[in-house]
Amino acid sequence: MPLQKLLKAEWSGLLLVVTLAIILIGYLKPSFLTPFNIQILLAAISVNMVIALAQMLIVGIGQMNLSVGAIGGLVAISFAGLMDVFQLPIPLAVLVGLLIGLAAGLFNGVIIAFTGISAFIITLASLSVFKGINLGITEAQPFYGVAESVKSFGNSSFIGTLPLLILPALLALIGVWFLLNRMRFGRHVLAVGASPTAAGLVGISVRNIVIGTHALSGLLAAVAGMMVVARLQIGQPTIGDDWLILSFAAPVIGGAVLAGGHVNVIGTLLGVTTIAIITQALVLFEIDPFIVQIFLGLLILWAVGINRLRDLRLTLFSKPA
Amino acid sequence: MASAQESSLSTNSRDRSSIRNFFFSNEFGLLFLILVFATIFALLTTGFTSRFNLYALGRNISIDVVIGFSMMVVIVTGGLNLSVGSIGVSAVMFGGWLIEGMGSNLPIALILLLLGGGLLGAVNGVMVVRTGVHSFIITLATMSVYFGLMIWLTQAEAFRNLPPEVATFGRTKIYGYLSPLLLISLGVAIMLAVLYRYTSLGRNMLAAGANPTAAELSGVNVKRTFILCHALSGLLAALAATMLTCRTGAAIPSMTGHIGQDWLLPAFLAPVLGGTLLSGGKVSVLGTFFGAVLVSLLTNGLLLLQVSEFWVQAVLGALLLSAVLLEKLRNVVLLQNRFI
Amino acid sequence: MTQENVFQEFGRKSFRTLKNCLLGTTLACLTASPVLASDTRVALVPGGPHPYFAAWEKAGQDAKRDFGLSGADYRVPQKWELSQQNQLLESLLTQGYNGFLIFPGDPVGTNSIASELTAEGTPVIALAGCLKQPTPAVFCLGTDTGNSAYLGTKELIKTLGGKGKIAHFTGFLVDPNTQLRIDAVQKAANETGGAVEVIQVIADIDAPEPAEEKINAFLAAQADKVDGIVTTAWVPAVVAANSLRKIGDKRIKMVGIDHDEVVLKAIKDGYVHGTMLQNPYGQGYIGSFAMNKLRSGCKVNQNAPFKSTALTNQFIDSGTAFVGRDKVDTYIGAMEAVTKDLMASFESTYLVCN
Repeated sequence: MPLQKLLKAEWSGLLLVVTLAIILIGYLKPSFLTPFNIQILLAAISVNMVIALAQMLIVGIGQMNLSVGAIGGLVAISFAGLMDVFQLPIPLAVLVGLLIGLAAGLFNGVIIAFTGISAFIITLASLSVFKGINLGITEAQPFYGVAESVKSFGNSSFIGTLPLLILPALLALIGVWFLLNRMRFGRHVLAVGASPTAAGLVGISVRNIVIGTHALSGLLAAVAGMMVVARLQIGQPTIGDDWLILSFAAPVIGGAVLAGGHVNVIGTLLGVTTIAIITQALVLFEIDPFIVQIFLGLLILWAVGINRLRDLRLTLFSKPA
Repeated sequence: MASAQESSLSTNSRDRSSIRNFFFSNEFGLLFLILVFATIFALLTTGFTSRFNLYALGRNISIDVVIGFSMMVVIVTGGLNLSVGSIGVSAVMFGGWLIEGMGSNLPIALILLLLGGGLLGAVNGVMVVRTGVHSFIITLATMSVYFGLMIWLTQAEAFRNLPPEVATFGRTKIYGYLSPLLLISLGVAIMLAVLYRYTSLGRNMLAAGANPTAAELSGVNVKRTFILCHALSGLLAALAATMLTCRTGAAIPSMTGHIGQDWLLPAFLAPVLGGTLLSGGKVSVLGTFFGAVLVSLLTNGLLLLQVSEFWVQAVLGALLLSAVLLEKLRNVVLLQNRFI
Repeated sequence: MTQENVFQEFGRKSFRTLKNCLLGTTLACLTASPVLASDTRVALVPGGPHPYFAAWEKAGQDAKRDFGLSGADYRVPQKWELSQQNQLLESLLTQGYNGFLIFPGDPVGTNSIASELTAEGTPVIALAGCLKQPTPAVFCLGTDTGNSAYLGTKELIKTLGGKGKIAHFTGFLVDPNTQLRIDAVQKAANETGGAVEVIQVIADIDAPEPAEEKINAFLAAQADKVDGIVTTAWVPAVVAANSLRKIGDKRIKMVGIDHDEVVLKAIKDGYVHGTMLQNPYGQGYIGSFAMNKLRSGCKVNQNAPFKSTALTNQFIDSGTAFVGRDKVDTYIGAMEAVTKDLMASFESTYLVCN
């Protein structure tokens, strides 16, 4: 019975691909499955997972948030800067970091909800604002004075090979899953994504949902930014610059529909894993670093093709309701 | 997908009747802003009106205008093209290879690289209409693929031995003030205006973008039209990158940024400020032109005001955000007044 | 400013110069040039934000004070992007800067704007990286990157006892210096006649996130096979130093580059063997000095002992030095000594003044 359920899940194909890839790479390159490598792989997956979730929620309401990376970067340097320049205690620095992320997300959400201007345009402009503030504060120089315990958080592991960074990622993963699958707010998010008009007609406040989702997205981007600081051990102003493609690729590979209304947390996790494995495999097999870019693009196209096939199959074979 | 389409269509038809009435004022508003800021910069800075600055400003504008057009022609379809930067740099690298690797002469290489850009755009278009997947995802993927292929094939080596005419052209001054590049973008603007206003192809593009179903019913081949829009976008991206190459005298893999993403902001700002609707079907060539002028002007002025380089982006972002919001506010006010 | 103030200002300036001479903290006294107000306004423009160039700011301020320039400002394009740099240079010219010290965003692409600047009568010196000839830049003052990578690899081989397997981490592939560095490391390895082998070169990682990912993946796969690491770009050096500290492996020897705090601390703690210092301060300081001289009638001495590189035959080496654990606390002094040496004979060697 559970097996049947597993096969039915839309991410079962992806899970199979990921499992086969791990077995194959592990067989060809035994070093792939060493504890140290697993730890590194998991750390990469953890950070990227939170980034992907920040985007996935917005995709859920049928919008885009181009400023995920800019928010993450702004929070990262604020977090490091507060510890470096003002010697703020870590909990306080984390709190301020989260608040900045939340505020940035609210800023996006409020403008989008109240003006009705496309989220694409607003987040494109706010990307410039957030990144600009980042550069204005740092003058492109990193903050070094990251507290020792933050550094060791980014470096340490527990129960053998699990990096500590996996904890916030798990928390975010479970939180978002619970939100979307078990809570009213989450159902409303998907309803708004499927059709704002219909959602409005059944009494959902589309405006509040849009604002709330953007606030959450900002919060997750903030978490990701601080995780990267812990991992890199410095507050680098370029943090977040290359999150854009990844943030869309992982949810889409995981089966998200860009028009909104349909996202999949487990699928996104597998999407993130796929990307991380490919990045690692390319180093392990000493493949030309230039090819990474092509792979990533083809992967998105492949995922789109698979989703397309599934849609066709569903429309062909599903019983008329 | 279907629902998003529907809702965009309904706003579109509502906006069209109103915006058409204020068609003039949209461009007029931009022109007004341009004049205001130009006056401010001329009064507050030394050197804004100097010969060199006006020349350099004009040259920067010319490239941004064509980048803006390359996005505008796809926005007409209600889609977008994230791969403009990747297509642009891929096309000029192809041109560089033709000249340095194949010994081709300049005019032939130029024609082939523009066609190459058009071809890459057409590939986007074919995939978009065949799969029905939103162009955002398709071009997000192809921006990665095109750039990756280009970097892999060239091994990130720039083509630096182009004929000297290329760089000379980029440095030419007409009457000391005017760059020939600006004339090219003016020419492109006129051609696009003619295309959309006076040719059936252009009108089909607008009709298909505004309402694909209706256009299909009235006999427009919507799929082919959309593919042509994407091909045109690729061609214009290649042209913009060629103009940039004239500016630098070399075809450099990093000239449009990592995976070409440095072009995204100018590409979207100009058409959006210019009043092109993201939902498709409406286009303003003059507005896009003015939009690009405004953005370049602000950057130039902020630098001359000695705003720290690091704060320029934040100020620019804030100004643009306010411009978008003001434009929205103006539309709302105008709409309300009309109904009263 | 009243006349009195001007005199006071002048008095303060000369007093400070005198004081500096006595304390030996700056190099002004070596130049024997009187501190007179000059109309030279130098812009020091890197290719984009990068910690390497941060020392240019201080160098410019010191040069302004010591040589009485009317300005020597460090102006950074906000992004590492050729057209941003071009736009900034155009603007700086409009703002009245009349001497440019430029790290070329591209060795050929920047020639175009450089010739526009010189056409307006402002000299250009390529700083820290060279412009490809033919170029309007009067000369190129920078680190001989190939040589630095070569010397660094030699140091690594020495500490490895002349044999072993090494890996090389380096920067952007679009940076022309990268290929020079790859070749130089290979050359040093080849000279051992096969005793030292370069088993992997990882490039294009001059940004922290990809560097972190790839270097860790490499260490995960090869940590037991590799004996030494040489890094020839700033970010890979920082990331590799952190990774070695993380796995706590002092068996793998590493030679880094530049003076990032992380690298210096790792040297102190024994995770990194040493680093190849470059001399960005000296570049900015001597570059500003030379620019002022060029604007006040000096010409470049065409018979000067310029070095040749792949890009230019008018190259001046701003110096490089290996710093190990013993010298890590005094490295600033070491680089100042290099600058002093170069400065002492710069005018007589490279310039012809009336």
